[in-house]
Amino acid sequence: MAPPRTTHSVRLSRRRLLQTGSAAMVSLGLLGRLPAVSAAGKRSPRARRCILIWLDGGPSHLDTFDLKPDAPEEVRGPFAPIDTEVPGIRISEHLPETARQMRHVAVIRSMTSPLGEHNFGSHYLLTGYRPTPVLKYPGYGSVLAHLQPTDGLMPANIAVPDHNSEGGAGFLPGTAGPFDVGSDPARPDFRVQDLDLFAGIDPDRLERRRQFLDTFDRFTEGVETVPPDDAGFDQAYRLVASRDAKRAFDISSEPQTTRDRYGRRSIGQACLLARRLVEAGVPFVTVRDRGWDTHTDLHNRLKEGFTGGTVGKVPTLDLAYSALIADLHDRGLLDDTLVILMGEFGRTPKINTSGGRDHWPRVFSVALAGGGITGGQAIGRSDAHGESPENRPVTPEDLARTVYTLLGINPDHELVTPDGRPVAVNRGGELITELL
Amino acid sequence: MTLTPSLVLTVLLAATPQHPIDFDTQVIPLLTKAGCNSGACHGAAVGRGGFRLSLFGSNPALDHERIVHELEGRRINLARPAESLLIEKPTEQISHEGGTRFDFDGPEAALLIVWIRTGASRLQRRQLERLEIFPREIPFTQTGQSQRLTVSAHFSDGTREDVTRVTVFTSTDEGAVRVDSLGNVQVLRSGLHTIMLRYLDRVEAVRVLLPFADEPVDPAPDSDSFIDREINKTLTRLRIPLSSPADDAELLRRTYLDLTGRLPAPEVVEAWLAADSSDRHARLVDRLLASDAFVDWWTLWWAQLLRVESKSLQAEGARTYHAWLREQVAANRPVDAMLRELLLATGDSYEQGPANFFRVASGPRERAEFLSEALLGIRLRCANCHDHPLDRWTQDDYHGLAAILARIETGRLVQLSDRGEVTHPRTGEAALPRIPGERFLNDRTSALADLADWLVASDNDALARSLVNRIWQRTMGRGLVEPVDDLRATNPPTHPQLLDRLAKDFVDHGCDLRRTIRLIVTSDAYARSSRTLPGNEADTTFYSHGIVRPLSAEVLADAITDVTGIAEKYGDEPTGTRAVVLFDGRAGSATLDILGRCSREGSCQPATAAGDLSRTLHLINGPLLNRKISEPKGRLRQMLGEGRTDDDILREFYLRAFSRHPTEQERQTWLDRFDGLSESQRTAAWEDFLWALLCSREFTNRR
Repeated sequence: MAPPRTTHSVRLSRRRLLQTGSAAMVSLGLLGRLPAVSAAGKRSPRARRCILIWLDGGPSHLDTFDLKPDAPEEVRGPFAPIDTEVPGIRISEHLPETARQMRHVAVIRSMTSPLGEHNFGSHYLLTGYRPTPVLKYPGYGSVLAHLQPTDGLMPANIAVPDHNSEGGAGFLPGTAGPFDVGSDPARPDFRVQDLDLFAGIDPDRLERRRQFLDTFDRFTEGVETVPPDDAGFDQAYRLVASRDAKRAFDISSEPQTTRDRYGRRSIGQACLLARRLVEAGVPFVTVRDRGWDTHTDLHNRLKEGFTGGTVGKVPTLDLAYSALIADLHDRGLLDDTLVILMGEFGRTPKINTSGGRDHWPRVFSVALAGGGITGGQAIGRSDAHGESPENRPVTPEDLARTVYTLLGINPDHELVTPDGRPVAVNRGGELITELL
Repeated sequence: MTLTPSLVLTVLLAATPQHPIDFDTQVIPLLTKAGCNSGACHGAAVGRGGFRLSLFGSNPALDHERIVHELEGRRINLARPAESLLIEKPTEQISHEGGTRFDFDGPEAALLIVWIRTGASRLQRRQLERLEIFPREIPFTQTGQSQRLTVSAHFSDGTREDVTRVTVFTSTDEGAVRVDSLGNVQVLRSGLHTIMLRYLDRVEAVRVLLPFADEPVDPAPDSDSFIDREINKTLTRLRIPLSSPADDAELLRRTYLDLTGRLPAPEVVEAWLAADSSDRHARLVDRLLASDAFVDWWTLWWAQLLRVESKSLQAEGARTYHAWLREQVAANRPVDAMLRELLLATGDSYEQGPANFFRVASGPRERAEFLSEALLGIRLRCANCHDHPLDRWTQDDYHGLAAILARIETGRLVQLSDRGEVTHPRTGEAALPRIPGERFLNDRTSALADLADWLVASDNDALARSLVNRIWQRTMGRGLVEPVDDLRATNPPTHPQLLDRLAKDFVDHGCDLRRTIRLIVTSDAYARSSRTLPGNEADTTFYSHGIVRPLSAEVLADAITDVTGIAEKYGDEPTGTRAVVLFDGRAGSATLDILGRCSREGSCQPATAAGDLSRTLHLINGPLLNRKISEPKGRLRQMLGEGRTDDDILREFYLRAFSRHPTEQERQTWLDRFDGLSESQRTAAWEDFLWALLCSREFTNRR
């Protein structure tokens, strides 16, 4: 096989790799022929925190960030594009507030993956690794929590209200995994459960319980110092002892106007809570919004929410996402807070007989904002019907390498599995240089 | 490469010089090897660039039609074969989105050119009969060693051909073993690894083995049990040392938890520890297999597998169904007969338990997925939209199974209708009923009965393999195939012969659940200590030591109740109802929610971790433990009220929670903590002790 001669053929061999999807080819060194990722190690990171908005189920690229107004009706779908504040970038008419924040946002319209099943796709996007039966890879937040422990009061990796299990601790210790807040911050009675001591238990007794538990575990393990286990008692004790930590979860102390601005639905209040948490020093927060698996009735699911309503998935996302970016910006936090908006794949170009779209991983969109990236741009294009990347395919590996680099983690750093095998933070990704 | 196409061809065809090229067995494998018909390229359901092939060449007739006749034959040029699109595209003589698949000067192009020159016909000269792979297993001794695999195909016309070059090789674990496109295998890490081979529709596995240590380990003792012979054989070859047998208390607690989902009572523990006979574990197993607690616990297994819960079945259906399942377990009904009845049951589902079987899934496709996942341990779902990329399932299989199940009406009244079809997405017409991987069924009225007969037929071990693998997982802590709902040729078992033997034993002995459980839990492998040795700490796969795993939500909730003496309330059930007997997976209980129960709405995977921070916070600050340990009617307060000594209370809690006595060191350590406290201080200290005990690793895990 001849070595690549031009940039063009580099791209071709890369695509070939994507298309065969053969792991065997990776081992044959095709990746080794790609240009070295020289910028990775040298670049000084700007993002100190990250908020991942995970649109669970696979959001339709064709109805959010990559509309095809010139395509036939069965592809075009029910929604029209609108202009944004960035000339040339058009997005869905139901993202008007996002359109006003577009200078901060970079949309990748040529994300591509071969995995169209929810769990497989989620694992790939949330970890940058394709799922294998032999190893579960850690999600972004878990890698960050593992490599950059915080000063201790707040958990380093929090999910609101919970995380997709494909993006958990993986092979890393369970203590690196996300802390699930557990309840919906849009509920009027929302509070993080069990942060306050039980009636009648004072800090001295808590401390004695901690010692007693340690005694049990030392006897059982037959060792002097008990290695931490997945249950996270140490983290829990710190959280219970910290007043600041509890305050960070108290979303009710936000002004009503702020709460309204984010939207009163789950995703809005979850984004608001995410902002409070990163402000309080949590380096990685996941907001998980379910319901994007829109196999039926796009118009209702994405726009209305209920017949005649205006609270479908897209308008509620619009409020939450735009408010988060604007709020972070107003507080001077956007520049070092990376906001990732994505799901596990896109949706089929052709609308199905139930008026919905099915799974489509071959091309879809991911939006990044803040954290020092260059906003106001669209990276890559999909083809006329949003079926395949037309140019510049971006893989989940590429995205992972870029995110880790932005967060100041060396993507080539080797993590170690419990059975002692080294696994790089990222394998086979190329930096998305347009973002940097 | 300097060889001319014709020279290469001579070399390539040397094995079968007298035969013209056969499309099905020579052209198709070449396209597969080059990746042309993979799911990401032309094998996608919608094809690629206007050219569509069947996934991995599963449909040669269609592929031939598309290559030779579609677009007025543009893809081949009989007059100038080398200028055919079929040659020019993959060799990138002209622009090809998929890049260069093979060289213009290479043997692949040469073979295609000859095939086109000789008429591009589909001869159907022969069919593949079997593959001969050498070696089937590679025992390496050092990291970095290599070995070449060779693959020969035997065909129906008596010919035999070396097909190594057109076999697709894939490592299932790139970090541990590599394989290149010519079949050269290189091992990188110790362990037992798998190389998958694909040629035409055959998928085969080659095992690659590299010991963990340089020196052999002590041989395992001989055993009458085929389980131990298989387990020990692998451990010896991998040079992993065996942990010693579990001590008496560990084995007692483990056996109770695995067979009954509950802890042994203190008097049972004391009697056990005092007794001394060689067959007492076997007798304990028999006693537990005959107990009501066994029936409750293994009814829960069925209830979780079959998704018994009130959302889809309503409380009436769930209750009736659960009660019926319990009767089957109690009577030790042969599993094949029980499942056959489930598949065919009709009637009022509030009155007829088994009629609920298909009600847990809403439509024919969901029923097909549920049936294949729960009973066969296979994920058919991928084959909804396209043929399964990793397995042998096709869209015909998926929609054919759904077609069989389309005539079941699943309101409260379950009955068979004489209509009901599913549309095959490829043809747009009603899918033909089909037993997956087997045959089409012409008679729709008997299709469901045919399916049920096939499922439980004694010469079909698919059901048995899936069930014994699940039973193995529930007792040993890890399935021979993981995940247990993903059995396929490309995900081979860790101990293939063992799974075969267990499945055969299950079928040969009347699909007897208790027999299989007894076989497993009376093995030496089951009775091994969970304490690791130098050399086996990292083993999570080969059963060199007992696998420590967290108690499930239901078991932990019941155990907390048993130790504290304070019951938990579940939904509308009477106080005192145990969590493991709940007929409804959704019975109201914040405790079970926070402990991470399986709600039975989908398939349940056993928890692998001890829980998350929210659960830990709940244990620290929530009412679950705090109320129960301080309750006046609770065991602790009662014992304190009766004036029992610290020593006595300590022994009681150790017996109840850990199924053992405290060691002298433990005893002394704890008694020192309570020494010289005032009455109220003593109460508080004991509460803190009990809290810590209920959170401890020894209590919350099965070891």
